Amino acid sequence: MKLILTGLLAGLLAATAAHADEMVFTSWGGTTQEAQTKSWAAPFEASSGIKVLQDGPTDYGKLKAMVEGGSVAWDVVDVEMDFAIKAAKDGLLEPIDFSVVPKADLDPRFTTDHAVGSFYYSFVLAWNKGAVSGEPTGWADMFDLTKFPGKRTFYKWSAPGVIEIALLADGVPADKLYPLDLDRAFKKLDTIKPEIVWWDSGAQSQQLIASGEAAFGQLWNGRVFALEQDGADVGASWNQNMTAADVLVIPKGSKNKASAMKFLATATSPKSQAMFAEASGYAPINTAAKAEMPADVVKSLPDAYVDGQIDLDMNYWAENRDAIAERWYAWQAK
Amino acid sequence: MSGNLLHRPPILRGPDGIGGALPALILIILFFVVPVVALLLRSVTEPVPGLQNYATLFGHGTYARVFFNTFLVATVVTAVTVIVAFPVAWMLAIMPPALGSIVFGIIILSMWTNLLTRTYAWMVLLQRTGVINRTLMDIGLISEPLPLINNLTGVTIGMVYIMLPFMILPLVGTLCAIDPMTLRAAALCGASPFDAFRRILLPLSLPGIAAGGLMVFVMSLGYFVTPTLLGGTSNMMLAGMIAQMIQSLLNWGLGSAAAFILLLVTMALYALQLRLVGAKRMTGGI
Repeated sequence: MKLILTGLLAGLLAATAAHADEMVFTSWGGTTQEAQTKSWAAPFEASSGIKVLQDGPTDYGKLKAMVEGGSVAWDVVDVEMDFAIKAAKDGLLEPIDFSVVPKADLDPRFTTDHAVGSFYYSFVLAWNKGAVSGEPTGWADMFDLTKFPGKRTFYKWSAPGVIEIALLADGVPADKLYPLDLDRAFKKLDTIKPEIVWWDSGAQSQQLIASGEAAFGQLWNGRVFALEQDGADVGASWNQNMTAADVLVIPKGSKNKASAMKFLATATSPKSQAMFAEASGYAPINTAAKAEMPADVVKSLPDAYVDGQIDLDMNYWAENRDAIAERWYAWQAK
Repeated sequence: MSGNLLHRPPILRGPDGIGGALPALILIILFFVVPVVALLLRSVTEPVPGLQNYATLFGHGTYARVFFNTFLVATVVTAVTVIVAFPVAWMLAIMPPALGSIVFGIIILSMWTNLLTRTYAWMVLLQRTGVINRTLMDIGLISEPLPLINNLTGVTIGMVYIMLPFMILPLVGTLCAIDPMTLRAAALCGASPFDAFRRILLPLSLPGIAAGGLMVFVMSLGYFVTPTLLGGTSNMMLAGMIAQMIQSLLNWGLGSAAAFILLLVTMALYALQLRLVGAKRMTGGI
């Protein structure tokens, strides 16, 4: 009897030790991370017993400092895909263990040796109906100051999107965008520069459009979706919407690598991806997720607007990230 | 912080100075000197050993513009702060003490409010659809919103507001120390109020203006939050540029070099101030 009790106790202790496991997930905060917590972390905690601590916002400088300093506090990080490709090249990331993370249904566009997709999104043209007369129909309208006067807002950081928008508006065909003609893009952007207000966070882009502070702008579709859900008076054009992706990575030297891999398996599973898509308006990166979603949600995702859709070239950006950034910030500071 | 560093010699000279200053000294070495040395090392070793980071910073039009912006903003903010702070400080100096302490309390209270909150409040006030523009348009004074934000105007307004206490406090100290009889004497000798101000009050308050002015100037040089939120990308200052290099470009060598230059400029300004005004008069007034 005593032996059995001791055995039970030992078993209990071992179980508690496993339960004491923790890992840290880092993302961009706001409505997006809330949805990730609810759709990925909560079910993962329930099934694995591993506690997921939330941190954020993602900061590439911090990530680099952690890896180089050898004290990695983040186990899974949500990053932009062009950064992930570059970071993998620089040796900042752990390779993904695809024996733990099922790869079969993952969209190959957003899967690499060192990253799995987090979600994918489109940049769309959104506007405040009260501040714009008429309906803009495409990116070219954002450069037409006589037909559509007012402030326009763009993403502040050097990243895929704005350069492409300028080139499309200047008449470059969608299939001839790359390699990017930076001179041409900046020349086009110069024509509206005094009217540009930059947004540096998703929440700010929403605030600018909802208040009419900017009449229209380039927004992440999930942020427009959230505005519409809130009943804001906004319009959106999906014409030439541009897709890009966030991916999940594990910083090199993560102390909870095994837990992190398991977390990735849950986060990219059809069910978790479907839940997240429903909560955020962003598209799933697992091709089997659609079967798990209500039809009206499927209709509102970037997948439903493939006509004229443009895939931003993450590999091109990863390759030229630094060179473009240098010119981008120099041009902005002018 | 830099004040402690430069005041060290006279403190150490005292018979019992070393023992008392030791904890502070250790703290400064651990959390200031060591990181600064690390910063300096990084700026000459990344990505390859050499001075190329400094060459880039000095040889590039963009960075020259950012340096210029930084000094322009700091100068404008310091000048406006002095002009706004002087009457307030003078009023505080001649007010009955009971009333004075209330006004003083209000000024201090503003310093206790979170910086980010105060800056966001200015955003709400200054933006195109903000309170100021709405009101001015409603009463028909303007037909188009004034550009008060995302430019130098916004940065100046926001920063002057935040810097005011740092100017008022040293100024009040200096002004209180001025014997009011000197002004009366000037008036009796036939000086107009303006003459009395220009030839008596202003020269006598110079140490306070210099002390506050330097503090405001130096703080402005390294300011990040307010220029980022209220300025446009063409108003980028050094701190904003450093953040960009560290966080988004991951070019730490260049960022460290820029940070080191900022530190050097700050130290040089402080040394200059010590020489011009003298440490005693500068701190004695506060």
